[in-house]
Amino acid sequence: MIEVHDVSKLYRRGVDLVHALEHVTMQIPRGRFVALMGPSGSGKSTLLNLLAGLDRPDSGEVVVEGEALSRLDEDALAAWRARHVGLVFQFYNLLPVLSAIENVELPLLLTDLSRGERRRRAEIALEAVGVPHRAHHRPQQLSGGEQQRVAIARAIVTDPDLLVADEPTGDLDAKSAVEILTLLRELNQAFEKSIVMVTHDPRAEAYVDTVIRLDKGVLVNGSDPHR
Amino acid sequence: MLVPVTYSTRSLLVRRWTSIFTAGGIGLVVAVTILLAGLVGGLQRMLVGTGDPDNLVVLRKGATNDGSSFLTREAVQIVRALSGIATGADGRPLVSPEIINQPFIRTREGGRENVLVRGIEPVAFQVHRDVRLVEGRMLQPKLGEVVVGKGVALRHDGAHVGGRLSFGRRTWTVVGVFDGGGTAFESEIWADLSDVQDDARRPSGCSGIRLRVAPGADRQALIDRIAADARVTLEAKPETVYYEEQADAANSLYVLVLVLAVIMATGATFGALNTMYAAVAGRTAEIGTLRALGFSRTAILLSFLSESLLLAAGGFVGGVVLGVVAMWAVNTLLQGVAFSMMTFSVATVLLQPSTTGVLLGLLFAVAIGGLGGLAPAWRASRLRVVDALHRA
Amino acid sequence: MTYGRLVLRNLSRHPLRSLFTTLSIALSIFLVCAVLSLPSALAAILDKAVSNTRITVHHEAGLTYLLPASYVNKVRGVPGVAAVNHFTWFGGIYDEPKNMFPNFGIDPDTVADMWPDYKIDPAALRRFRAVRNAALVGEQTMRKFGWKVGQMITLRGTAFPVNLTFEIVGMIPAASGNPVVLWFHHKYLEESLQPRPGWPFSGFPFVGMVWVQVDRPEHVERVMRDIDALFHNSEAETAAETEKSFFQNFMSSYQGFIRVILGVGFLVVAAVVLIAANTSAMGVRERIPEIAVLKSLGFRRRPILTVLLCESMLQGLVGGAVGAAGAFFLFRALAAAGKTGGLGPLLGPLGSFYMSPATAMQGLAIALVVGFVSGIVPAWNGARLNVIDALRRLF
Repeated sequence: MIEVHDVSKLYRRGVDLVHALEHVTMQIPRGRFVALMGPSGSGKSTLLNLLAGLDRPDSGEVVVEGEALSRLDEDALAAWRARHVGLVFQFYNLLPVLSAIENVELPLLLTDLSRGERRRRAEIALEAVGVPHRAHHRPQQLSGGEQQRVAIARAIVTDPDLLVADEPTGDLDAKSAVEILTLLRELNQAFEKSIVMVTHDPRAEAYVDTVIRLDKGVLVNGSDPHR
Repeated sequence: MLVPVTYSTRSLLVRRWTSIFTAGGIGLVVAVTILLAGLVGGLQRMLVGTGDPDNLVVLRKGATNDGSSFLTREAVQIVRALSGIATGADGRPLVSPEIINQPFIRTREGGRENVLVRGIEPVAFQVHRDVRLVEGRMLQPKLGEVVVGKGVALRHDGAHVGGRLSFGRRTWTVVGVFDGGGTAFESEIWADLSDVQDDARRPSGCSGIRLRVAPGADRQALIDRIAADARVTLEAKPETVYYEEQADAANSLYVLVLVLAVIMATGATFGALNTMYAAVAGRTAEIGTLRALGFSRTAILLSFLSESLLLAAGGFVGGVVLGVVAMWAVNTLLQGVAFSMMTFSVATVLLQPSTTGVLLGLLFAVAIGGLGGLAPAWRASRLRVVDALHRA
Repeated sequence: MTYGRLVLRNLSRHPLRSLFTTLSIALSIFLVCAVLSLPSALAAILDKAVSNTRITVHHEAGLTYLLPASYVNKVRGVPGVAAVNHFTWFGGIYDEPKNMFPNFGIDPDTVADMWPDYKIDPAALRRFRAVRNAALVGEQTMRKFGWKVGQMITLRGTAFPVNLTFEIVGMIPAASGNPVVLWFHHKYLEESLQPRPGWPFSGFPFVGMVWVQVDRPEHVERVMRDIDALFHNSEAETAAETEKSFFQNFMSSYQGFIRVILGVGFLVVAAVVLIAANTSAMGVRERIPEIAVLKSLGFRRRPILTVLLCESMLQGLVGGAVGAAGAFFLFRALAAAGKTGGLGPLLGPLGSFYMSPATAMQGLAIALVVGFVSGIVPAWNGARLNVIDALRRLF
């Protein structure tokens, strides 16, 4: 369950002051697959960063599964992220010097698991996203779609409550994009993972439970719409 | 058409810290080269520069330097009577008998080292043309007076006019300071011949003779005459040759210094290579654009090469400044560098800024800039336009 | 997959760049080791060939002032004196003046008592006593000229107008004794010195200096005082000092040269720090997106800082190991070949190439410091990266 209470965020770009988010309030029930959509500069990525605990609002409160994020300091926030959130980006997800499975193991370094256990979980995650046979390849050797799959495997390997994806299909061709959206949908349904996805892709609407639209920092179609 | 130089300079300025660090590495190589060349130059100047081509050094046959030689009073008389020797204004032959002694002397730090004391007669100042009294006056015989070379004056506290120095069996009074033109004599203390004979308990005779060949006389013939004389076992050689032989070790040092500088320069070249390769890799889009605009491969090559050379030029300038400052520091704060001569006494070498050092530094800078930039520039010029733009 | 593996992988990212940086560091550490070996050679000589019960007695005015030969027996009579010997510097040359090495006329009978720590073969010592023109030679000098035990060699006299021919009867091991010196019978020199033109003396009733072996370390101070008192106010006043002090004074004239060389070494290290720091900074700059990803995953500053710093320190360590090892083996080869680079007269005992394992360790330590100093600022900046800024820069 994600709650956003009256959140605003300002930032500076050069000499301009940009009001990225203005008094946004909304709720996302657990287990939902949500798309955050809107034109460029609408604040959707900013909102995503706040939900993922990557950034702090200037005013207002973000509460995820009962945890008020603003009450956590830098280190605590990092620890919270490691435990509760899985992240997928548009570019540069994977470390090029590590193989696919090593990339997936990366978040597990922050846990107390043994080396063997880490390897096992990574294998399971790769299986779940459908690329176990590419475990020992480097990102340069994988296609765009395969790289994103590995990134998703990394995002789920810590078994987080929330999966956050910023334009995951933005750099992919049509076929790969569909595969990724399908995969996310499966993960949402099979494992009841809450997923919040920022996307431009109109195809995404068909895969998600809810679409939240933003424009110029404010919600456009109100809060908590259900399908 | 060539890529404008401003592109190269601007690119360097944009990567400010990288450029500074790389140029700094090159600069240090240049500084070290200048410093070491100054050391060797000072040493060579002292060893080789010492020596008047018109003078002969006369030693006992087989002696390697005047510290280990011995001549009797009779031998000196015999040499004095030979023809072919120059005469002074008073008509007396310019033959200077000299006795070398190497007593202990205390250093400023409380340590102890050998100092070269040369017992002379007044004619010595006429024979050694390069030696000039710059302070005080000439020493008087049998009074325990000494004149000291500039190097000694710098190195020891009592070595100034009116001061007293303790060495040998007694204390001596300093009455003058002489300039030797940077030669080995500047590290010596000159005293009265009979005083030194007394102190060293060598009642008669001396270590060697220095004499001036008469203008126009056959120098070699005089040398042969001295060697052939059956009454004495002496050999003579030109003073320049004598010191050249002592300079042998300085030449070995020169080789060592070169090796050191080359090794350092190689290291700096690797640094330059890293920088330039990274620069090329980071600017593939720019390169593609330039090529698309119509600049040729050669133009790109030259542009990147010139960037590397500009870095080297900057480093060179900085290195020269640093090198000269360091040399000044060594000369002023450390009073030069102390070397043990073949005679086991200590001579001070002042580092000598030389064009050789600067030229060598320039050579290294250009080599580093050129070699460090060539391969990356080549790679830049070989980029396919399509790839370069695509990667952007 | 561990942090260690991450460090290693990051270093292998740009193999050429890592190679160049490593070679840069290796070359610099090679030079640094060469430079550091000078003062350590000094220390080695002081440690190795020095005993705490041996003292030297020389003329107070200097080493070129001779002592009357009668002093030797007088010193023998001082209480606390276990054995005496005497040295007279001959200054003979074998081939060229620049390859000069110290050679002395000594007393052949008390060598074993005076220098038991040199561990000279007893058979050689016996032969040395028995044969008038016998010579004991230090290992390094023997290697340099390729001499063998049993060989006859001639030294050309410089300070004395005689050439002397010796039979080499034994070697002074470099590991335990003075490796460069040649010892022969003082009497042999004396007998060779007959009056002749240019040498008006008959015989040679002088010695250069007297060596004394004191029975116990506690007695050393007192024995030195007693000896000097014995000759106080006489023709030749003496200055007794411990062997260590003697060598230290001997070496003090090299201090200036060493200081300059150490300064050069410092500049070499500074240059390599600049080069390595540059590489580090470049590497971190290029990896900003990755660092952003790591941070977003929940990695905090400290692990990121540690990984980055370990990379540059590991690079320093590898480069340092290569450089130090290179210097060590090169020097060992040069020393074995007896080469001294012809710098003998200029640098004296420092002219021989000798690098101790301790110096190699020092070189390694410096390499680690280079790795740290060159990596710390880029690593710190990288770790402190603001995730949002970095991410925003990406998209």
